[in-house]
Amino acid sequence: MNLSPGRKILFLGIVLIIVILIGIGQGSVYIPIFKLFSQENHQILYVRVTRIMLGILAGTGLGVCGVTLQAILRNPLADPYLLGTSSGAGLGAVVGIILGISGAYLPLVAFIGALLSTILVYNLARQDGKIPIQSLILSGVIVAIAFSGLIIFLVSVFSNEALHGVMWWLLGNLQIYRLRVLLVVGIVVILGTICIFILSQDLNAMSIGEENALHLGIEVESVKRVSLFITSLITGALVSVTGMIGFVGLIIPHMMRLIVGPNHKILIPATCLGASAFLVLCDTLSRSIFPPIDIPIGVITSLVGAPIFIILLKRSQEIK
Amino acid sequence: MDALLKVEKLFGGYGRETVLKDISFEIIRGEFLGIIGPNGSGKSTLLRLMSRVLYPQKGMVLFEGKDITKIGLKKLCQKIAFVPQDTLISFSFTVWEIVLMGRIPHLKRFQFETKKDFLIAQNSLRLTDTVGLREKSIDQLSAGERQRVVISKALAQEPNLLFLDEPTSHLDIGHQIRILDLLKGINREKGLTVVVVLHDLNLASEYCERLILLNNGRIFRDGKPDEVLTYRNIEEVYKTTVLVNTNPKSLKPHVMLISNIEQCVQNYS
Amino acid sequence: MPGALPFRRERKMKKLVLVATLASVLTCFSQGELLSTQFKRQRIISLAPSTTEILFGLSLDDEIVGITIFCNYPPEALKKEKIGTFSQPNIEKILSLKPDVIFATGLEQAPAVERLRQLKLEVYVSDPSNIEELFNSIKEIGKLTYREIEAERLIALMKTEIEKIRAQVKLTPPNKRPKVFIEIWHDPLMTAGRGSFINELITLAGGINIAQDISTAYSYFNLEQLIDRNPDLILLAYRDNKEAQDIVKNRFGWEGIKAVKNDRVYNDINPDLFLRPGPRLVEGLKEIHKRLHPE
Repeated sequence: MNLSPGRKILFLGIVLIIVILIGIGQGSVYIPIFKLFSQENHQILYVRVTRIMLGILAGTGLGVCGVTLQAILRNPLADPYLLGTSSGAGLGAVVGIILGISGAYLPLVAFIGALLSTILVYNLARQDGKIPIQSLILSGVIVAIAFSGLIIFLVSVFSNEALHGVMWWLLGNLQIYRLRVLLVVGIVVILGTICIFILSQDLNAMSIGEENALHLGIEVESVKRVSLFITSLITGALVSVTGMIGFVGLIIPHMMRLIVGPNHKILIPATCLGASAFLVLCDTLSRSIFPPIDIPIGVITSLVGAPIFIILLKRSQEIK
Repeated sequence: MDALLKVEKLFGGYGRETVLKDISFEIIRGEFLGIIGPNGSGKSTLLRLMSRVLYPQKGMVLFEGKDITKIGLKKLCQKIAFVPQDTLISFSFTVWEIVLMGRIPHLKRFQFETKKDFLIAQNSLRLTDTVGLREKSIDQLSAGERQRVVISKALAQEPNLLFLDEPTSHLDIGHQIRILDLLKGINREKGLTVVVVLHDLNLASEYCERLILLNNGRIFRDGKPDEVLTYRNIEEVYKTTVLVNTNPKSLKPHVMLISNIEQCVQNYS
Repeated sequence: MPGALPFRRERKMKKLVLVATLASVLTCFSQGELLSTQFKRQRIISLAPSTTEILFGLSLDDEIVGITIFCNYPPEALKKEKIGTFSQPNIEKILSLKPDVIFATGLEQAPAVERLRQLKLEVYVSDPSNIEELFNSIKEIGKLTYREIEAERLIALMKTEIEKIRAQVKLTPPNKRPKVFIEIWHDPLMTAGRGSFINELITLAGGINIAQDISTAYSYFNLEQLIDRNPDLILLAYRDNKEAQDIVKNRFGWEGIKAVKNDRVYNDINPDLFLRPGPRLVEGLKEIHKRLHPE
C-alpha cells in the first residue's frame, strides 16, 4: 500500500468505526436497527455496547503490550502473556473458586494471581539490578509451565469447581456484569497505552539493539523496567476480566508492521485501531454464528486471524 | 593540543573479571587513532568503557575534562557516537528511519524531527554515498551497504568523537578501503576525532596517525605506526613471525605474514 | 468309637439348620419385608458419586468396599475406603480391595474402565441421560448386585413421587408455565440444554427451560438471548455464599429480566440434587417444583 502513514491510520480508524456499527446492529438476538434504540430494547443495546467497549479496550491493551514486548525482547514470538500474567490469573481464578470466594470477586483474585506471577518472573530473571532479555523469556516460560501444572493438579483433585475456573480462564470472553470493572480496566489500558506511546522513540531505538539504543542516549534499563511494569499491569488487568484471549497480542502487531512499518510512532496508534477492530469483529461473530450459543472468543480470533495473517505475509513476500 | 578524552588508570571488565589493567592515555582532538591487538586483548572492552556502555571497575574516563559517568547519557551521546561490529537489525526499518534515529540524542521525547534534523540526516547519507538507498528496507541491504548506513546514523548524531569497533571485518577489500577513505575524509574536513578498532594491521598502518597496541589488557606500545609496527613488537604480542616492509606509495609500515608450513610439515612427518 | 461321631454330627447338623432357618425367618420379620431370593455377599466398588447413591439406595451398605473422595452422600459413605478421584481412580487401590463388581459412569472414566476390564475385572458403566435411562440403570445395577427387588422398590418409589408432581402440574396450561433459566456458571455464562437431567426435571416440575433449543447437556449462552427470552425464574446451579438475589441484581443488563425484578432467583437448592443422576433427583424435582409454584 502506498498511502502515507497518516492516511493509513485514518483508513484503520474508519474500519474500526464500521466494525463497531456492525457490532451494535448485529448480535445474538435479531433486532432491526430502527427498533434497537427503543425503550424496550435498551438493555440489549447496552449489553452490546459494553461488550464492544471492552473489545476495544482489550484489543488496544493486548495489541500495545504485544508491540512493546516484541520491541523490548526483540523477539517476534513475544506475546502479552509471555511474562506469566495469564497463567497467574488462571491459577488465581481456580484457587479462588475452590476456596469458595464469591463469583463477584473473581476478577480481583485473578488480578492478584497475575501480579504475583509477574513479580515472580521478574525476580527470577533479575541479575545485578539488570534484566537480561534471555532470562526474562526463560523465566516467563518456566513460571507459565509450573503454574499450568498446578492448575491441572488442582483440577484433578477438585474436579467440578476447579473446572469452572479453568474454563473461565482458558476460553476468554468479553461479557462482563459490572460497569465499575469496565471503568477500572479502561483507565488502566488508556493510561498505559499513552505512557507506551510516549516511549515510542525509545522503543524504536531498543528494537535495533540494546547497545545501539545506549549509544543513542536511551536509558535502556529504565525503559525496560517501565515498559515491563506497564505491560504487566495492562495485561494483568485485562486477563483478570476477560480471561485469556490468544492471537491478538502476538499476530496483530506483526500484521500492523506489514501495513504501516516498524516505526512505533505510527505502529502504536495503528495497532490500537487494528487490534480493536479485529477483536470487536470477532466478538460480533462469536455472538451471531450459532445463537443462542456464544462461541468462545479465543476460537474465533484464531480462525479469523490466521488466514488474514497468511494473506498479508504472502503479499509482503511477493513485494520483496 | 586539546585532550578530548582522557583515560586514567583504568581497570575494567565484565562481572568480576578484569580484562583491562591500568590503562592510561589521552585522545587528542582531531586525531585518527587506531587500537590494535590480538583477540582477547581488550580492544572492544576499551571502546565500551570509553563510550559508557561499561562502567570502570577502577580509574576514570574523562570527556572534555569531566568524568563520563557523571555526564547525562543523552548529553554524552550528542558528542560521542559508536558504530558497532554487528550491524544486523531484525526489524525492517527503512534506511531513512535508521539514519533519523541518529538525531534521537538531540530530540526530546515529545519532539518531532524538524527541517534541521532532516537536512542533517540527508547530509549524512550523502557523506556515505547512500542517498540512493533511502527508501530501502535495512534488511534488504548487503553487509557493505548496511555498514555505511550505520555509519550515516552515527554521523547524523553530529558527534565530536566517533568510535568504530572493527567496521571492516565483514567487508571485502574494496569496501574496506572505501569506508576508511570516507572516515579519513571526514576526519580531515570536519575535524571529527576517530577512534577505530582494527584487526587488519596494514589498514591500521595506512590510515591511523597513531596506534595503541594492546596486549593482555595492558598498553604494549602507544605511538606512530612505524614505532608500533615493528617485527619485534608484533612477534611478542601476536606470537608469530612477520616481516615488516614499507608501502611504496604511502611509505607507511607494511606487515608481511610468514607462514610456517615447512615447520608444520616437518612436525607431522 | 466310629459309630458315635456320625450320629453326633447329624444332630449338630440338624441344630444348625434349625438355628439358621429361625434366624433368617426372624430377620425377615424384623425387617417386615421380603428379601431377594438369591443372597450373595459381594465386594463392590463405586467410581462415581451417582452410582454410590444408587448402591446405598439398594441397601448395599455392607458390600461397598471402595468409593471416590467425592462421594459425599449418604453420610455413611464418608466412612468407606477411598479409591481416588472421579477422573483418576487409583487402579492399584482398586485391585488391592479385590472387588467382585465395579460401577462407573460415562466418557470421562472410559480410560480407567478400559484399564480395569483389561485386568479382567467386571465393570458396569451407567451413563443415563434421562430419567427413563436412569431407571434402567438402577434395574441393571440391581440385577448385578442381587438386589432386584430393592431396585424395583426404589424405582416404584421414585415413579410415585414423580407422578404426584406430574398430576399437580397437568392442571397448568402450557402457556402459563413459568420460564426458567438454569445458570450452570456465570463467567462464561453457561446453561443446561435439552440433553441434561435438570432440563427434564424442570419440564416435569411444570416449567419451561428457556435453553431447551440447545441439544447438548451443557452449553455457553448469550446474555442478549437471556434478556430477550426473559425468564420468570433463575436457578443458580453452583454453591455461592452470597444470597442469590445479591449475586444477580447488580449485574449490568440483568435488571430488566422478570426473574430479577420479581426476586425469583434461587441458589438454595443443593446442586447435587439435580445434577447427579441418582435417587435424589426426585428430591431435586420436589425442590424445583416448590420454587416454581410458591403457592
